[in-house]
Amino acid sequence: MPISSKGFARTSLALIIVGLIALVGIVGTAIWLVERTQGHFEAVVEARETRQAAVDLRNLLQDAQSGQRGYLLTLDEAYLEPYGAAIGAIDAAYERVEGVLAPYPQTEQSVRGLRADIDAKLTELAETIALARQGNVAAAIDIVRTDAGETTMGRIRSMLDTVIDVGDMRIYDGVVEQRGAATALRVVALIGALVIIAVIGGAVLLVLRYTRELDMATDAVEILNRDLEDRVAERTVDLMRANEEVQRFAYIVTHDLRAPLVNIMGFTSELDAALDPVNALVDQYPEDSDDPIVVAARQTATEDLPEAIGFIRSSTRKMDGLINAILKISREGRRELKAERIDLQALVESAVAAVHHQIDESGGEARIDLPAPPIFTDRLALEQILGNILDNAIKYRHPDRPIHIDVDGRQESNGRIVISIRDNGRGIPGEDHDRVFELFRRSGNPDVPGEGIGLAHVRIMARNLGGDITLQSNPDHGTTFIVTIAPDLRVIARHKA
Amino acid sequence: MAIDPRPVTIIMVEDDEGHARLIEKNIRRAGVNNEIIPFTSGNGALTYLFGEDGSGEVSAHRHLLILLDLNLPDTTGVAILEKVKANQHTKRTPVVVLTTTDDEREIQRCYDLGANVYITKPVDYDGFANAIRQLGLFFSVMQVPETA
Repeated sequence: MPISSKGFARTSLALIIVGLIALVGIVGTAIWLVERTQGHFEAVVEARETRQAAVDLRNLLQDAQSGQRGYLLTLDEAYLEPYGAAIGAIDAAYERVEGVLAPYPQTEQSVRGLRADIDAKLTELAETIALARQGNVAAAIDIVRTDAGETTMGRIRSMLDTVIDVGDMRIYDGVVEQRGAATALRVVALIGALVIIAVIGGAVLLVLRYTRELDMATDAVEILNRDLEDRVAERTVDLMRANEEVQRFAYIVTHDLRAPLVNIMGFTSELDAALDPVNALVDQYPEDSDDPIVVAARQTATEDLPEAIGFIRSSTRKMDGLINAILKISREGRRELKAERIDLQALVESAVAAVHHQIDESGGEARIDLPAPPIFTDRLALEQILGNILDNAIKYRHPDRPIHIDVDGRQESNGRIVISIRDNGRGIPGEDHDRVFELFRRSGNPDVPGEGIGLAHVRIMARNLGGDITLQSNPDHGTTFIVTIAPDLRVIARHKA
Repeated sequence: MAIDPRPVTIIMVEDDEGHARLIEKNIRRAGVNNEIIPFTSGNGALTYLFGEDGSGEVSAHRHLLILLDLNLPDTTGVAILEKVKANQHTKRTPVVVLTTTDDEREIQRCYDLGANVYITKPVDYDGFANAIRQLGLFFSVMQVPETA
């Protein structure tokens, strides 16, 4: 099924939109997934920080407790070093834990408990160490033996362990989710890529198919064009052949008509001559003879026969004139046309110059405006065409107007040369526009002498030159004859050959 | 002509009997009394000129003058002219082409083939009669060779 250009535009637009949607989907999903990854990452970082803070605090507390125990056992000041260091860092560590847990209001209670426990523990540690320094190690050990400190420490430891566990869990969840997001991204990218590949593939196929169809259509148009040109050339040749055929026919007919005409005229003369002896015989009878035979014979010999012979003669003469006119035209048609390069401007100027005198006499003027494409045609035929038309413009001028003649030329897009000759003469009535080109037909008042063969002749010549002649006329403004001729008669001659 | 022991015979090939009659009348009016043998078809004339065998020996030692119309019903005058001028027995026989055809090419062709005179029949009778009479006068003075 051929693709219409509208269908092609619609389908390509749809493909582009589908591709765009896929692309937007991929990009949107990717951005969303990256955002989410970022979120997960931050959550993991935060969880790790929480966990780290809890671990640090627990370690510090354990360090402090170990230092206290070691001192109480040995009373060696060296054991108080880690204790001192831990005590100094615990506040900061606690604040970190408090800070990382601040966003979780549900932990507020536990954090407050943690603070109390830490304070209690630190107080117990400081108290025992102070007692030991004063030498009252037993009292310090008693305090330790109450297990209150240990219990507090156990609560602290379990609280911090919970925080650490929760942190671990959150890290694990974050990693799992991260992996899921990566998988989702991969799947979305894959689907999007498939869609885009499908769209591009479809578009490429469509473009290829459309281009191929365009090529095929162009080829078809070219072939049609060539065929058309060939057909036009063929028809032109056919027309010219038909034209020639008619002229040959006319030529033969006129010749064959001439032969009997010679007889009619010849024997009419013989009859005429034969009247002399008859007249002589009739004259032998007296003029006032009453014999009806003599009267009738005299009537016949002196009036009837000469009258009949006269009519036969005038009719044959007229017929001879007509035959000669046809012969003239057919002879023109049989003339071998000789294509030569013609300077149209010069040819028209010389044709106009031939009637210049009459134009000047009437006070009018002639204007020539012609293109100068190279034309190859028969000079004589073209001269006769123009001469005939210009002669008509003079012969059938309007009595009240100075003669104005415009000769314009142009070349049509198909190469034909069009020459229009406009006069301001008396014009031709509409019903006679075709008639004037017919043999022996004339238009209007026959006050101007003519045989009625000029335009018939012109039309035959124009057709012989691969063209034609038409006219436009308005009795008020005059007549325009439009002569078209083929620009190159040699081409037509080649086609004919 | 009367003094010539072998008077010239005029062969007239003309399919139109009216024309043939008018030509004969006018030749006689010019005072030519030679025998005129009319043929209305090309084949009749060819048989007379070249015999049944077509060799042309029958024309040997004849004194002939041919008046030829080009438009004939069975063959063309040009074909007859060609044969006459190609045959060794008739090639010196003068041929006068008398026809209605006034086509340049036809005239040239006839002269090329060896026609001695080409005359177009004028349509007006006076011109026609005059031309024939002139032709008759021309016949009375022209020398016709004996055919070989």
